[in-house]
Amino acid sequence: MSAAAIVSRFSLLDAGIAAASLAVTLWIGVRVKRYIGTIEDYLVASRGMGLYVGAASLLSTEVGIITYMYQAQFGFVAGFSAFVVGLITLAVCLVVGRTGFVITRLREMKILTVPEYFEKRYGRGVRVLAGVLMAFGGSLNLGIFPIIEARFLAIVTGIPARYLGWTMAGLLLVALAYTAIGGMVSLIVTNYVQYVFLAAGTVVVTLVCLREVGWGEMVRAVDGHMGGHGFNPVKDLGVGFIVWQVLLWIALMTVWQSVAMRTFSTKDPAVGKKMFTLTGFLFLGRALIPMVWGIAALAFFWGRAEPATTAGATPNAEVAQLAARLDETYHADLDSGRLGRALPQVDLLERLAGQDQSRSPEAARLEASARDRRGEIGLLAMPWMLAATLPTGLLGLVVAGMLAASVSTYAGYFLSWASIIAQDVVGPALSSRGAPARRGAEGSADGDGRSFGTGPRGVPQDDRRSLLLTRVTVVALTVFIMIWSLAYHLPGPAYFYLQVTANLFMAPTLIAVVGGLYWRRSSATGAVLCFVLGALASLAYLVPALKLDVATAGNLSWALAVAGFVLGSLLVPPAAQREEAAT
Amino acid sequence: MSWGLVWLVAFAVALASFVLISLAIAVRGVGEIRELFAALEEERRRKPS
Repeated sequence: MSAAAIVSRFSLLDAGIAAASLAVTLWIGVRVKRYIGTIEDYLVASRGMGLYVGAASLLSTEVGIITYMYQAQFGFVAGFSAFVVGLITLAVCLVVGRTGFVITRLREMKILTVPEYFEKRYGRGVRVLAGVLMAFGGSLNLGIFPIIEARFLAIVTGIPARYLGWTMAGLLLVALAYTAIGGMVSLIVTNYVQYVFLAAGTVVVTLVCLREVGWGEMVRAVDGHMGGHGFNPVKDLGVGFIVWQVLLWIALMTVWQSVAMRTFSTKDPAVGKKMFTLTGFLFLGRALIPMVWGIAALAFFWGRAEPATTAGATPNAEVAQLAARLDETYHADLDSGRLGRALPQVDLLERLAGQDQSRSPEAARLEASARDRRGEIGLLAMPWMLAATLPTGLLGLVVAGMLAASVSTYAGYFLSWASIIAQDVVGPALSSRGAPARRGAEGSADGDGRSFGTGPRGVPQDDRRSLLLTRVTVVALTVFIMIWSLAYHLPGPAYFYLQVTANLFMAPTLIAVVGGLYWRRSSATGAVLCFVLGALASLAYLVPALKLDVATAGNLSWALAVAGFVLGSLLVPPAAQREEAAT
Repeated sequence: MSWGLVWLVAFAVALASFVLISLAIAVRGVGEIRELFAALEEERRRKPS
């Protein structure tokens, strides 16, 4: 028996539905230009965002095709244990929404970017350092989105590979057009429309999964395929992973620029808090729903699996034979949707290589290679299942939902990282010596109750220059993303790349913000050490000799960032306290 | 309670809340966008650039 190749039923009707959804989004997005007069309109929609559009905007930005793909991949490889990440997200959102931890203080200060807070609290040097790390890590993080998403679109729509680059360039240009013109106002309005498409597509795919596979079959697939694993997250993923995820999600929900910009755009701090409570349940769905798609894909292909066999004389010969066969067929199977043939072979190779008593380097290499391939199958299994099961018409609706998710994420991230590059890196360098990069925050106070300077608001010359600089940065960032996504070859699993680039600044940013808001003694020296040590610990993951896994590198980043912050602040206290001590 | 049941309940809550909140967003969002436009228009009239 030979597994048949999967051919998508994507038709002209589906293409029409998807194209119409993009056209509507673009049309709405560029119509709001007339509302943009100041940099505050452009970056935070003049702080007029309501609760429901805020929740839609936040979720649309944080859900792209790539999000659904890696969540489905996590469900595919870890089974139901992966759900713990969704529960952590819900818990973090509810606590942040209930207490206003960090977000209320930042919202009250009327800042535009997170690094802007660092200038108020620690000085310009820390603002620029944080801005450089965030811009660098954030841009590289965004840079692989098109690479991964192109694979989804190629599978589900059947677009030939030679047109994929143009398709992704077209999507980036749609996002660029309305983001550069209308900024956050465009984003809020288009995010609302995109959310409707996204939610409809999400529900359709979930219903298809439940109809095609069913919950009982998913449970049996995880039980049978993972050999007793896939249900208990503590046993499967470890306490270290869970602790790291809790810390990471606290940082993501409070100081990740695209999320923080939504907080800064709300009408008032109370709306910001409510938005997090409401969004917590949407974030639970953002994790669990695609994870179920991944588990459904596992059950779907496991149910169609061809048993893998070997006929070598010795275990070593069996492993060698299987590895050679996989080298011949694996990529062709992956590219044609024959996952029912590739998956059992990869599983068998991983098991046999793992059982090798000699633990030779070759056996270890083959076992690791089989594990990576299982991860790659997990990434593509969900789109292949959709291509195999969705009928014409529904396929168009789902693709429209996924394109909406994708374009809204590009747009949201373009604005987020461009705002940091323009406001916190390039702006301070261009502005006159000693003058603040942006005058705008008024009547705000830090954690010690000290008042920040109250500068004049909305100086037209400054606003025009700031607006132009940010718009030019959005365009430049888009060009960079296009080039990066065409030229860069991903060396390993996307999930690890995304975590390393985000880890570069996540831990130090949260620690320096929390320290600045809630600890009087925190100083600029502590903040600088915090950023340097936290970033170095994340980069240690890339040094093969250290053999750090991604969770350990993540936790190390947090530990070193805290140590650097506390030590630096105690050894070199803030200037005010030094003067106090001297008198 | 088994892990299987815990995950079934968690998924049911996730899907139900996703559907209900999405419906609320679809219904209430239009009014909020109108309010945002009105506020921006008002500000534009107050602060001509």
